[in-house]
Amino acid sequence: MTSFMAGGAMAAESKPLDLDALLKQLEEGKYQQNQQNASREKEFMAKVSEQDRMLREATDTRNNELNRSERLETSFEENEFKIADLNEALSKRLGSLKELFGVLQQVSGDTKNKFANSVISAEIPGRGEFLDNLAQSMGTSSKLASIEEIERVWFEVQREMTESGKVVRFSTDVVEAGGTKVTKDVVRVGPFALIADGKYLDYNSATGTVAELIRQPADRYGDSAAALQASKGEFVEFGLDPTGGSILGLLVQAPNLQERIEQGGLVGYIILAVGAVGLLLALERLITLSLIKVKVDRQLKSTTFKNDNPLGRVMQVRDQYPNADVEALELHLTESILGELPKLTRFLTIVKIISVVAPLMGLLGTVTGMINTFQAITLFGTGDPKLMAGGISTALVTTVLGLVVAIPTTLLYALLNTRSKAIVSILQEQSAGVIAERAEQTA
Amino acid sequence: MFLIEFLEAIRDFTETGGQVLLAIGFLIMVMWLLILERALYFFIWHRKEKEHVIANWYARKDKSSWNAEQIRQMLVSRLDLSLKTSIPVIQAMVALCPLLGLMGTVTGMIEVFDVMAISGSGNARSMASGVSKATIPTMAGMVGALSGVFASTWLVRTTKSERLHIEDALQLDRHKG
Repeated sequence: MTSFMAGGAMAAESKPLDLDALLKQLEEGKYQQNQQNASREKEFMAKVSEQDRMLREATDTRNNELNRSERLETSFEENEFKIADLNEALSKRLGSLKELFGVLQQVSGDTKNKFANSVISAEIPGRGEFLDNLAQSMGTSSKLASIEEIERVWFEVQREMTESGKVVRFSTDVVEAGGTKVTKDVVRVGPFALIADGKYLDYNSATGTVAELIRQPADRYGDSAAALQASKGEFVEFGLDPTGGSILGLLVQAPNLQERIEQGGLVGYIILAVGAVGLLLALERLITLSLIKVKVDRQLKSTTFKNDNPLGRVMQVRDQYPNADVEALELHLTESILGELPKLTRFLTIVKIISVVAPLMGLLGTVTGMINTFQAITLFGTGDPKLMAGGISTALVTTVLGLVVAIPTTLLYALLNTRSKAIVSILQEQSAGVIAERAEQTA
Repeated sequence: MFLIEFLEAIRDFTETGGQVLLAIGFLIMVMWLLILERALYFFIWHRKEKEHVIANWYARKDKSSWNAEQIRQMLVSRLDLSLKTSIPVIQAMVALCPLLGLMGTVTGMIEVFDVMAISGSGNARSMASGVSKATIPTMAGMVGALSGVFASTWLVRTTKSERLHIEDALQLDRHKG
């Protein structure tokens, strides 16, 4: 280690790499300065003869400078009085104009900010610069605004007012959702909205560009925008955002379905997977039970016993034990019915369990999400409501997913349970009756 | 004119309630259709069936053998089955109404918290739409559940007592001895 350090110090003398080298350099520097001082002293001693003359020259220049400073001081004082007098005269002559210029400066500043956020600036660009320059020049220099400038401020405010009462068509560059710039016919509705091709546009005040909103409001609003663009001056319904774009801006920030599901995280995906399994099992049962029901109904009507349905298989017990007495026959029937039951009720319990467990899993996801949120609050404090609200809304997504899975599976379970129970009761309560009917008919 | 206003009022109501409210409305509609179907069946078709079965039973000579007993059980079971169809589904729908309402509550709350996360403040006006999306479905779910509970319990009770009535109506001849 030390050998390496030493090697480094040797390699770069200009840059001290360790403290020892630095110390050495400091010592050398001091030594150099001492040398310089010594050489200066030598020079000074050599010029002893010139010293008197140099002293005289130095005193002369000092006296001259002193005189000059006195002269300047008196003239400065005189000028101060003059300035005060002139200022007084100026404010006397300005009189009420002084307030007017104050108001003018304030109005041009306010109007400039208003223009920056107004969609009318998309149609008439570059209105704000003149006002900005005027407000700044009036605030800093003593230059007064000219009549033309004052009239131009009036004109700009009046133009904004007049334009905000109009629905105007003009063409401008629009940045589409894909990012390409296209020149389009745009319709401006007062100071509220910009639309093109049935889509709402957003005016970006910082860059002065017009862009399509990435997420558009509901279709019927888009249709109303298209109707407005197609209208020839007759009255049409049009949905506008009275806040001048902030409600439409919130639309863009609201997450869509896919983003929502992603917020659910691992627990959310597990819930969805379990739900998919439950749905598949329920569908399988639905199809199988429907087929069995059709076959059983056919069996009830026909006289020949088929092997392809539970009722037929139960009925064949009679043929297998033709000599059995009534009690034995009942026992054999019960046995064969018991053999059929598991085939009918298979998977039903799993579907029921999924319908019960899904909301619980959702709750689990919510609680873990809440724990994370509160962990974050513990670390960063409650100063930022965004942090807490975002975390809670993410946490609640799993509850929603759990309910989304639970609701259809509950319904499906009820449906399947009814169907399987109907078949089971046909087997348990009616098979003996059917056998008895057959016996009576053949007798 | 009145109809248009009425439809617009409904549209605004469903929009303030969000998509979950539509689902709840659909569920309640299907539930009540099923309930009405059951009630109509019970009062009209079931009556005819029952009379027909009872007449057939008393037309029989043999009302005491094992065969007759099994046949009687079969008749009762068939009437009972056709009475009971779709009642469990109705009960499940009644149970689902508050669940769906809860789902509406949670999605509405998510929206409220989203607004808070975006705007960074608890501005009541911006949270109002989320709050209404949270509360209206809850209310609708409760309305559906309450209205359905009475209907479904009435259905269950009548089917049970009807089965007993049928069993009483189909008398077996007991052997004396």
